[in-house]
Amino acid sequence: MKQKNNNPGMTLIVKTVTRLTVGLIMLYGLYITFHGHLTPGGGFAGGVILALSFIHLILAFGRDFVIKKFSEKVAGIFESIGAFLFLTIAVSGFLAGYFFMNIYGKGTPFKLFSAGIILPCNLSIMLKVGFGLFSAFLVLILFTSTNSKE
Amino acid sequence: MMQHLPYVLCLILFLVGLYAIIVKKNLIKIIIGLGIIDYSLNLFLVLVGYRKYSFFPILSKNEQVQPMVDPLPQALVLTAIVIGLAVTMLVIAIAIRLYEKYRTFDITEIRKLKG
Repeated sequence: MKQKNNNPGMTLIVKTVTRLTVGLIMLYGLYITFHGHLTPGGGFAGGVILALSFIHLILAFGRDFVIKKFSEKVAGIFESIGAFLFLTIAVSGFLAGYFFMNIYGKGTPFKLFSAGIILPCNLSIMLKVGFGLFSAFLVLILFTSTNSKE
Repeated sequence: MMQHLPYVLCLILFLVGLYAIIVKKNLIKIIIGLGIIDYSLNLFLVLVGYRKYSFFPILSKNEQVQPMVDPLPQALVLTAIVIGLAVTMLVIAIAIRLYEKYRTFDITEIRKLKG
């Protein structure tokens, strides 16, 4: 039991595999987000995969390791940036005409940067959903820690 | 009858979740039953939009237009999944609080309604 307290998280095997795979999972979430207007997926699915990579880190390395680098306040700030970015994109349509107007042009179909405001919208949805899920998971963990200390 | 078989299976999945909620005494199992009901309803809505011999409603490059399934229930189900996620988070938070107060997940032992 003492070794567990000194070394939070799971065994060495899980930690090594996590170190290798977390970057790939994060990259896959970004890929799903960036290709949201071409293939199935989009901001929500990409955000969920991004949040899963953070949750994977928490499960493997323990709570304190992640909170030291990425506290719930930082997650809240990123979440707010996502919501604010979406509103900014929507309001920037007023520059040319109406709410949610496509001001970047349509581009050629089936190219990566083609669908106007859909790609920035997907990115902001990814920020909102990913860090929202991550902070919800963090809050569920922090609940237990604060109450057991009392 | 064979035509409606997927819907009947959906109903059976719903009843499995309902059984878990009514009969089981462990809070975690009740939450899992809630999740099963959620997914059975999502599956039902997606099946309503299905058409035979048709493809997913996304056009890709160099592809001819083919009969597609109805995309509206799929968009609706995406929203329903998010709501189900929020409900599950809320229920789990309540379950954690109950566990800290009573030190058990058994609902027959969680009796005191005061404070």
